[in-house]
This record gives sequence, structure tokens and C-alpha cells, in this order.
Amino acid sequence: MARYVLRRLVVSAFVLLGISAAVFFMLHLVSESPGRVVLGQRASPEAVAAFNREHGFDRSVITQYLAYLGQLLRLDLGRSYKLNEDVATLLAQYAGRSAMLSLAGLVVALAVAIPLGILQAVRRNSLVDRATTAVSYVLYATPSFLLGLLLIAIFSQALGLFPAEASQSHSPWVVFTDPWAMALPVTTLAAGSITVFAQYQRSSALDQLGQDYIRVARAKGLPERLILLRHLLRNACLPLITLVGTLVPTLLAGNLIVESLFNYPGLGLLFLNSLHREDYPVLLAYTLIGGVLTVAGNFVADLLVAAADRRIELRK
Amino acid sequence: MRRHPLALAGGVLLVLIAGFCFLGPLVYPTNQTDVDLVNAALPPGPGFPLGTDTNGFDVLGRLMAGGQVSLQIGLLAALFATTIGTIYGAVAGLAGGVVDAFLMRLVDVMLSIPFLFFVLILSARFHANAVTLALVIGCFSWLLSARLVRGEVLTLRVREFVLAAKVMGASRSRVILTHLIPNALGVIIVNVTFQVADAILVVSALGFLGFGLTYPAADWGSQLASGVTYISADYWWLVYPVGGCIILTVLALNLLADALRDAIGRPTSVRS
Amino acid sequence: MSNVSLELGRGETLGIVGETGSGKSMTGLAIMGMLPAGGRVTGGTIDFTGRDLLAMNPRHYRGNDIAMIFQDSLTSLNPTKKIVEQVAEPVRLHRAASRRAARERAEQMLTQVGIKRDGYPHQLSGGQRQRVMIAMALVCEPEIVIADEPTTALDVTIQAEILDLLDELRSARGMSMILITHDMGVISQRADRVGVMYGGRVAESAPTATLFGHTRHRYTRALLSSIPTLAHDRHEALFSIPGSPPDLTRPEPGCPFAPRCEAATDRCRQEQPPFTGTYACWHPAGGPARTVTRERIARGKSGDTLLKVDGLVREHPAGRRTVKAVSGVSFEVAAGETFGLVGESGCGKSSLGRMLVGLDRADSGEILFEGEKVTRPRPAVQMMFQDSGAALDPRMRIGRILREPLVIQGIGDRDERVRRLLGDVGLPEGVLDRYPYELSGGQRQRVGLARALALDPKVLIADEPVSALDVSIRSQVLNLMRRIQLERGLSSVVISHDLAVVRYLADRVGVMYLGKLVESGTTDEVYGSTAHPYTAGLLAAVPEGEKSGTRVRGELPSSIDPPSGCRFRTRCALATETCARVEPPMTSLGGTHRVACHYPLQGGRNG
Repeated sequence: MARYVLRRLVVSAFVLLGISAAVFFMLHLVSESPGRVVLGQRASPEAVAAFNREHGFDRSVITQYLAYLGQLLRLDLGRSYKLNEDVATLLAQYAGRSAMLSLAGLVVALAVAIPLGILQAVRRNSLVDRATTAVSYVLYATPSFLLGLLLIAIFSQALGLFPAEASQSHSPWVVFTDPWAMALPVTTLAAGSITVFAQYQRSSALDQLGQDYIRVARAKGLPERLILLRHLLRNACLPLITLVGTLVPTLLAGNLIVESLFNYPGLGLLFLNSLHREDYPVLLAYTLIGGVLTVAGNFVADLLVAAADRRIELRK
Repeated sequence: MRRHPLALAGGVLLVLIAGFCFLGPLVYPTNQTDVDLVNAALPPGPGFPLGTDTNGFDVLGRLMAGGQVSLQIGLLAALFATTIGTIYGAVAGLAGGVVDAFLMRLVDVMLSIPFLFFVLILSARFHANAVTLALVIGCFSWLLSARLVRGEVLTLRVREFVLAAKVMGASRSRVILTHLIPNALGVIIVNVTFQVADAILVVSALGFLGFGLTYPAADWGSQLASGVTYISADYWWLVYPVGGCIILTVLALNLLADALRDAIGRPTSVRS
Repeated sequence: MSNVSLELGRGETLGIVGETGSGKSMTGLAIMGMLPAGGRVTGGTIDFTGRDLLAMNPRHYRGNDIAMIFQDSLTSLNPTKKIVEQVAEPVRLHRAASRRAARERAEQMLTQVGIKRDGYPHQLSGGQRQRVMIAMALVCEPEIVIADEPTTALDVTIQAEILDLLDELRSARGMSMILITHDMGVISQRADRVGVMYGGRVAESAPTATLFGHTRHRYTRALLSSIPTLAHDRHEALFSIPGSPPDLTRPEPGCPFAPRCEAATDRCRQEQPPFTGTYACWHPAGGPARTVTRERIARGKSGDTLLKVDGLVREHPAGRRTVKAVSGVSFEVAAGETFGLVGESGCGKSSLGRMLVGLDRADSGEILFEGEKVTRPRPAVQMMFQDSGAALDPRMRIGRILREPLVIQGIGDRDERVRRLLGDVGLPEGVLDRYPYELSGGQRQRVGLARALALDPKVLIADEPVSALDVSIRSQVLNLMRRIQLERGLSSVVISHDLAVVRYLADRVGVMYLGKLVESGTTDEVYGSTAHPYTAGLLAAVPEGEKSGTRVRGELPSSIDPPSGCRFRTRCALATETCARVEPPMTSLGGTHRVACHYPLQGGRNG
């Protein structure tokens, strides 16, 4: 077990190294001369060259990359071109709020999708199942920003129940401190995942319902409710854990759209704004963090599944 | 097909949508090149059944033109991704052993890369046209096809009918051509269908984030994206028709793919 | 399923026997109130000590008064719960016991069935899982236990142990049991009364001795005559029942067995025979229980050695370790001869079969066919697979499947050859345009045989040729294989776990245990004067076999790390220290009879 974790950590380190190299070289390709970006179009070529020389941007890409890696080891993510702040400080400011949004979306999605999927499996082909499946299909086919807009149009503009803009509070606990303003963003974020999770949970629960141990539990005289709670639930959720682990990039993309749509000051919005500002150190850092989260998501999911299901031996 | 009413519905819907996009302009030709600010942002009415957009383009005609682009991008991206994924997955599955382990570990690594960020960074700098957009999307969606095809090949490879062919003296290429490919084809076709749907959604998300196709080319995604900026101005006809088109198309593709998957998943149940 | 009436006395074992789809499992599930979705009891009563079960909520008696044991499968226990907790569950439910008390009771019950440690289900072998299932069923001391194919998925030696355990516990508690199975042997040994089901009806019901001694229903009689047994005269052909069991989704008037019955008349085809209390047949049989075919089996003349296997070894990796599937096996097969390979699951017989046809390569040792080394498949050595459903490409029509070997080998005149093959295996030409799933299991197996014959092989390797088939169809296929082999002068290697099947088909037999050949000789030698304790144990474990022999006890050791010396010693009653130290060599007992044992049961020298 300990050896497995160690091995995974080493592999993860290599993966992250690969990602960092890929992003770094791509950004280098996109923008060779940070001096031009920082000093603006009007700056003289000499000034730009001087700036680049001063900050070491005239060295070879490899040297620059190695220097960047050295920085990373000291947890230094570099300095923003445009905001006159350390990237690490900048990200730290926004990270809490983005994490809250993501977590709230994930929790809501799971809380709805797990029981829903099991209900659909138990009542297979009933009206409830068919109606839920139909809604899932339509929701899945709806681009999430369109869904968010529809929610705004209905609940904010027509009914006036919720504000159209997310909370602008700087506290990371926005979801709790300003629940009204966060209702629509969290719903939009969750809706995208619910359709995927519920359909996945449904088919996983159907698989489990067909297994012999369910029949055995029935023969013991257990009422259906207990069969579901004690026997089906845990086994049916195992594939979902893996799915959530692999879906981290998708969840991050969801954040990007929701933050942009509801003008929610989080990492996603920071990324998009930095994209417009050509603020490359920020883009680089956030992409790396996305990679870390993805790798960590897969890793944690594998550990959780292994802990819940002893058939899986952590070797390799 | 008769036993799968949803597949039929999906298929018919898809044919109708394709007909609307590709044959529609023949019946209802519109000017989609010259800006006409006099007739900008008109609500639906005589002459403009779905109104005009802020550049004065007829929305109905624009839906047809945009649909062509969206469907082409989706199909191209899906074919690209599936081709690469199929070849890669098949090679891994057939080779087995160390080659397989290496190739699949590589896929694992690539799956950990947050591709949307890459795409966004790239498209911020380089202006995408329909083909490059399709290729870029294809580049990050072939990984799952590769996994899928490899899994399929691995299971097929040890199935008894494949062993039987080998005992009869069938060559490797014969086994692949007459047994593996026909049996894996179903899975691959289903995969293409799903991927067309997903590509259309990704393009629309990119459009919304401001990194889709650039004006004057316009797929449904960028149309919708530009429409939503005016939603507070009550220009609803710039949002709902195109939103509906995307939803219907993706829905039709997914219905079709799901039903196809059901159909190939249980080849023995066609009985009775 | 219709009109099923059966009776079970206290402390009695009622056997319900029937084939797939005969309704035997439905009968058990109906009692438990557990019919699958869409199924329900539309009429009749189920009377349990004066109460009508159909009027009760089944949850109140399930697992408490009446318990059920199912066929073992990998998923018969919840994979994420420890077994003690799973066994304790009914106690907590029905006895309102505390968690602690329930666990104690569960542990006690598990000890009684021979499970000493708690753990997760995947750590158990099939036999152990079935013991846990028994503990789970009996933990609340039910009055009736329904065992539905409790040993079908298990090896014979384990099967015998499980059935013994069930019998023991049943008689110790004065419990009644309903034993549902397709295996006539199990029924004849274990049941007090028997109900024979066919086509959703009870065909015949009688005390066991009466049923087997004085069979009345034509189906029972035909079935008993078609099953190969260890007592059967090897030189007499088995009776073949034509056709296949009825499709219950398309009910026909009249007796369900009429289309396959020798004695059927128009009345049988039109009128449903009433159940008299012992049988439902218009023309009940009298006299002996079996139809004697009086057809003598002509055995082919054995010629020169055709296939020679010498010191064959095959190991394959399992994670980091190595499974020693086949560890030095040698034998010869002469032209026109049938060699039978017997052994339980995991003994390496299928790995051996794959090497014989050249699908896998041996790690050491060699296979010589007509003096030439076999390294890859060749037309002269062909294979018939266990499950033709899996061995026929689902996307090809039968015509194309049968033409495939001819295409591969570039043989012309295909249509004519395919037609002849169909004739040989007794299939109509109509099947050529069908897909495999449109055929019955017996028909598919005939197609599999026809395909194996298409290249005119000299040796046919048949891996479990009838194990996947319904009981009443097996003898058709066995007789067909026998006939074709004789006609073509074909040699064959029949691989099977079924001792009676091998005995019926084979001229010579090899017994395998954990990758080694432990005994070989002519069929009469091996079955008649058994020398190896393992062979004797196998024969004793066969349900209809003699109960006198020494049973094989315990579990099969892992083939990753097999025991030192004699691999069988861990389960052998006669094992000594020598057996652990020295591996017994194959030694001749005279004639062709050879055994690898330090203390053979028959004469010979000690090693």
C-alpha cells in the first residue's frame, strides 16, 4: 500500500513535469517576447530587448524552463505581467472562492444524482425513470452557458427570486454567507454534472441489482429499503467515485463558464481575463494547478475505491 | 431499428436537421455576406421569419449556414478523433505486453492534461477556422476512443470464435479483417456518434468564452454566444432558435448513439 | 409454468429435477415469493404447516422459516462486506438480536460449516463461498431450506463435500429440504422423493427408489437412458432423445414432451395428459427404467502413434507470479484412438488442449504430430470448443462460418463440402442462412463439430464438448461425435471434468491434477482397477458412484505455488513424509496402466 502510494506519487511528479514542459513551451511559442507584452506596443525595440535581457527572457527556452522549474520548487509561480503582483498571491486570493463553488456544485450534483440514479434503476422503465432520462438527455444537450442564461431569464429576470450576478464577496465562504446570490451559479454548475452522474449511477445500480447477492439478501427476508441501503448503495457508488476522479478537467471547465457567466471572481474568471490581457505567468500557473488537481483527483479516487472495495489490490 | 423507436426518432431528427442546413438555403436563399445595418436586430416579422441579427443578417438563413459549419466541425473532429483513437487503441490491444502498457500509460498521462486551457491559450493567439478548430478538438478527444477500442480489441482477441479462426490457420490480418473489425465496428460507430455531439457542445462553449470561429464565419456556438450578449436587450430571437438547434442536434445524436449501443451490446437478444 | 403440485414432509428431502427452462427454479422462487419482475402466481396455494404462504407477506418467512441457497457464483456474496456481518444479518433481522449477539451466532454457524476466519468474499474459494451461503441460510434455523443447484458450479470433489454438509446439518436439525438440480445423479443419492419437471409441468413424482426402479413417464425414462453413467455398459450406445426442450413462450397443446417422444400418438399432441398423482403421461412406461438401445459400440482399431506429447510445460504470468498450468505431461494418441483427459478445474487440461492445437506454445517439452513438431495451428489437428455460442462469430451466418476454414486453406468446391458436412452432423440446409443466435444449443454444437471437421483433420481436440448443453441433448452430441469418429477413422482428445462422459467416449484415459498427469491407461484399467488415490477420490465423489472410496478432502492448492513432492499429498489420506520430499515418477503397473504415486492402490511397485 505505502509502496503503491509512493510509486503513484513518483509517476504523478513525472506527469506534472510533462505538463509543465508542454505548457511552458507552448506559451513560449505563443509569446516569445514578454517585454513586448509588458511594455506595450509603443515601447521601443531597444527597451523591449533590455527588459527581456534583464529578466532573462533572451536565454534559450531550455534554460528558461529549467529556471522556471527551479522557481516552482521554491513554490514561486512568478510575477504577473499586468497586475504587479506575485502569481501565487493572486491565485491564493481567488482559489478559495473557486474551490467553494466547485465543491458546492459537486456536492449538490452527487446529492441529487446518487438517489436519482438508484431510484431510476429500481423503478426501471417506469414513468419516473423515463421522464428523468428524457430530462437528462435534454439537459445534457444544452450548452451549460445557455442553461445558466435560461435560469437567469426565468428566476432572476422574470420571477426576481435570485440575483443574476454571483456574490462578489471576498470571503471564500460565499456559498454560506450569500446563499441567494450563489443559488443560480451552483445550480448551473451542478446541472451539467447531474445528468452525467445520474445516468452513470443508474446503469451502475442496474448492474448491481442483477448480481446474485441482491437476490440472496432478498432471500434473507430483508425489506427492499434495507437491501438498497445496506447492500446496493456502496457497491453502486464505486464506479461513480472513479468517474468523478477522471472528470476533474470537465469540472474545471464548468467553473470557467459559470464564473464567466455570473461574473464570479474566481480562478476561472482570472484565467479568462489573463487570457485577454496576455498575462502569461498567470495562465501558466493556473494550467499547472489544473494538472495537479486532475492528477490528484485520479489518485484520490483510486485510493477511495480501493479502500471501499477490498477486491482491488493496489499494486503495479 | 423498428425495435428502437428512440433511435428512429433520433435518426429522423438528424436527417431533418441536416436537410434544413444543407438543402434549406436552396429553398430559402439569403444574403449572409453583406452587412445590412438598416435591417439590424429586427424582430421576427414579414420578410424575416426569425428576425435579423445585429449585423442585419437574416436569422433563419444564418441558422442554416451556421448549422453547416457546426455539423461539419463536429463530424470532422469526431472522425479525426476516432481514426486516431481506433488505430492507437487497436495497436495497443493487438500488440499487448510492454507496448500496450506503455501506450496506455501515455494515454493516462495525456488525460491528466487540462486540454481546455491549452485550447483556449492557443485560440487566443491563433485565429481558428473550422478545420483547425475541428482538429484541435479531435486532438483532445481521441484518448477516450483509444481506451475504448483497446478494451474492445482485448476482449475480442480472446473470444473463442477468434481462437477458432486461428486454429483453422487464419492469418493475423485475416483475423483482424474478418473477425475483429466487424465485431468492433459497432462500438466505433457509437463512439463517432457520441463524439460528434460532444464536439458541437465544445465548439459552442469555446464560442461563448469568446474563442470560437471569428466573424464573419459563424457556427451555431458563436451565434448563440453573440446572441446571449443581447439577451438583456430582449433580442430573444437571437438566442432561442439557435439554442434550440444545438439542443435538438445533440439530443438526436445522443439518442441515436445510445440506441445503437443498446442494439450492439446484446446481439443475441434480437431473438423473437 | 402451470399446475405444479408437490409435497414435502418434515425432515424429508424433496428433489426437483429438470433442465433449463423446465420451471424447477421458478417453483423454488414462487415458494419464496421471489418470482422475477413480471412473474406471479396466478392460481393455486402453497401450504406451509397449515398456513397459505401466498396469503402472507413473504418477508416474514423468508430467511427465517424458509431459507434458500443458490448456485455459487462470484457475486453470490456482497463483495464489500465481511462474511460474518453477512451471515449475522438474518439473525439481527428476524431474531431482533443485538449486533454482538448476532455476530456470535454467525461465527458459531460459520464454524459449523467449516469456515474459521472472517474475511471478504473474494478471499474465499467457490466451495468456501458455498459454505458461507449455507451458514447464511441456516443461521436462523429454518424449517425448510430450498437449495437451487447448490453445487452445479463446483468441482465434483467439492460438490460431494457440500452435499454431505447439507445432509448432515439437515438431519441434525430435523429440517426439510427441497433440492433443485438438473443432475439425476445428485437426486438419486440425496432425495427421498423426486419431482421431475419438463416444460413447466411436473411430469412425474414418486419416492426416489420407485422413480428410478419403476419409471412411468416417457420423458424420465428417455432421460435416464440418455445420461452416461459410471455403471453404464461402455459397449452399448446411449439412447439419444431427438429435438430440444420446448420454448415456453410458445405453448402448444398436448404433452410438452410429445414432439420428442417415441411413444407419442395424436392424442399426446392434442391433449394435455392429467397428473395422476405420480405421473402425467397418456402412455406410461412399464418394465425396466431404461430404454436399452442394444446398439453395440464399434470401437475403432488403434493404429500407429499419431500424436506424441513429451514433457510438456506451460507457465503463464499472473501479476508478478507465475501460474504453473502444465508441468511436464507426456502421453501418446494412436491413429483412430480417443484419448480422454479428466481433471477438475485448474488442473491444466484446457491449457494442454490449447497447446495441442498450436494456439499456445509450450515453455518446454514438445508435441509431435506424425513425428513433426507442432508449433502453430495446422489443418490436421482441429478443435471443438465447449460453448459454440461463443465459438461462432455472432456477425456471420452459419454458411459463412462453415465455409471459413475452406476459404482460409484455399479449398475449392465449398458449397458442396459444406452441404456434405451439414448432412454428416444432421443439420438441415435451412440453417445456412441463419445466425448462430437463431440456433438451439445442440444445433450450435453440431455446427461447431462440422466446422472442426471441414478441414478433414486427423485429430480432433474436444474441450468439454457437452458441458454447456442441456442434459437431454448431450447424448445426441456424444453419439454423433462417436459415429463420426468411427466413420472417419479420426483420433481425438476429449477434455472433460465429467468422468462418465470421458468413460463413454474414450479408449484410453489420462487423469490430471495440478498440471501433472497422475494416472493413465485404458479406460477399463483406470476406471476398473483405479491406482491413484486422486482418481479413486474423483470416482467416489461422483454422485451416483460408489460411496466406499476415500473422499478427496479440502481445497485445491494454488497452481502458483504447488505443494512439494507429490502435488496431491495435501489432500491425500495416504500421504507420508516421502510424498512431501520425493516427487513420484510415472511407473507402469503392467500393460499400459501407469501411475505417479508412491503408494498406488493397485499392485505395482512402491517408489
